[in-house]
Amino acid sequence: MNLNTDKNKMKNISIFTARMTEEKKEMVTGYLYISPFFILFTIFGLFPILFSFYLGFQKWNGLTEMEFVGWANFRFVLEDPLFWKSLYNTFIMGLLGTFPQLVVAIVLAFALNSALIKFRNFYRVSYFMPYVTSTVAVAVVFGVIFSEQESGLINVILSWFHLDPVNWTTSEWGVKFAIAAMVFWRWVGYNTIIYLAGLQSIPKELYEAAKIDGATLFQQLRYITVPMLRPFIIFTVFLSTIGAFQLFTEPLIFLGRSYREEGITVVLYLWREAFVNLSFGPASATAILLFFIIIIFSSVNVFLANRIGR
Amino acid sequence: MGCSEDEDASGDGKVTLKFWVFGSAGYEQLAEEYMEDHPDVNIEINHSEMNDLHNNLFTSISAGSGAPDITMIEVSAIAKFMEAQDRFYNLYDFGAEDIKDQYLDWKWNMAESPDGSYLIGLPTDIGPTTMFYRTDVFEEAGLPTDPDEVSSMFQTWEDFFEIGKQIKAETGKPIVDGPELLYNALRDQADQQYFNENDELIIEGNSAVKEAYDFTARLIEEGLVGQNELWTPEWGNAMADGSYGVLLAPSWMVANVKENAPDASGKWRITTMPEGAGNWGGSYIAIPKESEHPEEAYAFIEWLVSPENQLTSFKNNGLFPSALPVYEESDFIESTDDYFGGQQVAKIFSEAAEQVKPVYMGKNHAIVQTEIVNALMNVVTKGTDPEAEWDEALTRIKAQLERQ
Repeated sequence: MNLNTDKNKMKNISIFTARMTEEKKEMVTGYLYISPFFILFTIFGLFPILFSFYLGFQKWNGLTEMEFVGWANFRFVLEDPLFWKSLYNTFIMGLLGTFPQLVVAIVLAFALNSALIKFRNFYRVSYFMPYVTSTVAVAVVFGVIFSEQESGLINVILSWFHLDPVNWTTSEWGVKFAIAAMVFWRWVGYNTIIYLAGLQSIPKELYEAAKIDGATLFQQLRYITVPMLRPFIIFTVFLSTIGAFQLFTEPLIFLGRSYREEGITVVLYLWREAFVNLSFGPASATAILLFFIIIIFSSVNVFLANRIGR
Repeated sequence: MGCSEDEDASGDGKVTLKFWVFGSAGYEQLAEEYMEDHPDVNIEINHSEMNDLHNNLFTSISAGSGAPDITMIEVSAIAKFMEAQDRFYNLYDFGAEDIKDQYLDWKWNMAESPDGSYLIGLPTDIGPTTMFYRTDVFEEAGLPTDPDEVSSMFQTWEDFFEIGKQIKAETGKPIVDGPELLYNALRDQADQQYFNENDELIIEGNSAVKEAYDFTARLIEEGLVGQNELWTPEWGNAMADGSYGVLLAPSWMVANVKENAPDASGKWRITTMPEGAGNWGGSYIAIPKESEHPEEAYAFIEWLVSPENQLTSFKNNGLFPSALPVYEESDFIESTDDYFGGQQVAKIFSEAAEQVKPVYMGKNHAIVQTEIVNALMNVVTKGTDPEAEWDEALTRIKAQLERQ
């Protein structure tokens, strides 16, 4: 019985495929090959995104029935000083962690690309290492380095310069500086490698021609390197902006589950709403707001980065 | 669920029970023992970290699929899951009433609905709080070190305050490690904590919680409170260094003290704390509605939390029993611990356990707790005004409760 139906099926399929032209067959195969991504993306990417937009207008704790509340969730979030504080924190930590990092990354890339440095591959790997380290491990180690105690590493170093120990986990700027340092350390290598790839894609002929025309080293940098690197700069600025707004693991691990207002970021704020307080509505509303904030800031940053080297 | 159905069909009439556990309860061993006596039951234990277990349980219950037949739930999460009463079996339907008398009232009541008609879980272990103290610090401060003498010296919290001043004056050390455990100890002695049984916030005005906060703040202002935040590496180091006099902690802290301060053996003692005791931690075992074999599951968990097995869990894994008959057992009550100078620690903890006041915690307990502890940490690390910090904490608490 089973065998027969199977045979029939086979027959049907072969008839079906036979009817298709070669071109169509290729098309079907192509779609089949790329379908895993789209299926997974729909389930784990698209659906949650759309569901967040829906949840933003509901009151829901995950267990009871949902209740439509209109814009109330957005009002809760926008009227909450802690939300604005978290946005401010995210912005400041992003600025502290990102901007110096990109500048240092360019300098490092330039140094690694020059012929003067020995063991270049060793340095490349070393700079990239932090990127493959687990964020949680980084945060734990930095938690020890930036210990509150006078015996904490950074506080000991400060004492050599006769500076007072800093309360790294409770003071307004201590927290921000420590977290920005983590972001810096983890991502500088990643951006260096991207810039390095950019530098290596610039044809040598351009520099040679410039040298023949009598351009100084600074002029070469200003008129060849930076303009040619622009797509890479835009790319890193774009990713860093998004990354900065999504800062989450570092402050969570560094501050523990205290969600202190010196270090709470927007994503930490929305995570606390959702998974600690079980207010999925306001959490989704925060996520939607964050979505638009990221769009705005990324656009502005890309616009600004576009003007570099013009 | 599809999977377990298949297993049932193929497993020659065997009932498979999936059991989610966290921590080191040693239930694997007990389950083996049970399966030997009940060959028709197969128990599959899935071990995970406590927060992960709660999250996974929450997700599966919320989604309506993927929950186990049996699960552990920690006391801090019990109120949250009580909200989903329709997703867990009422254990009174299986005869839980019959074993109620064996367990501590306050422990049992926390898993019961306020009207007493519904029971979400059977009690396992508890964490009665007592006073751990450093004999070396006490000696340095010119205080007695014998547990009985110390206990009679610390009759009231006012005594605690005065002795704190003496320790500070003689040794320069604070009496407690940090604000949180002191505050918790005071909080746990109140009849009501953050919420009444209608989940309304009741800490404003002259509440017991505010008194606990004020007392902690008073000690902070006198410099009697350390700056350590719980669970930080510094907090662990302070335990080994003996940089403070007293740790107000639950029974399971014994393991943490031994781990953080292996060289301080003999320097710690345990005695009762002023004006009563509290409880921190402990778990329950519940049966989600998705289970198709609730009767078999109930039979197993009733056996699992029986006095004999709680004694086994105590002996093997240090889980402090909530079953009263265990407190009568001589090999429980007379057990000594060399780390604490050969003290009969179980006796002290069981006395504390019987003093714990039943209290309604409410599902939003953690929100209030986090904010109050943050406020106290601000007072102790930044020297800010306690009243201003209290008001700010209250604002933050209300902003979060509004959304519930």
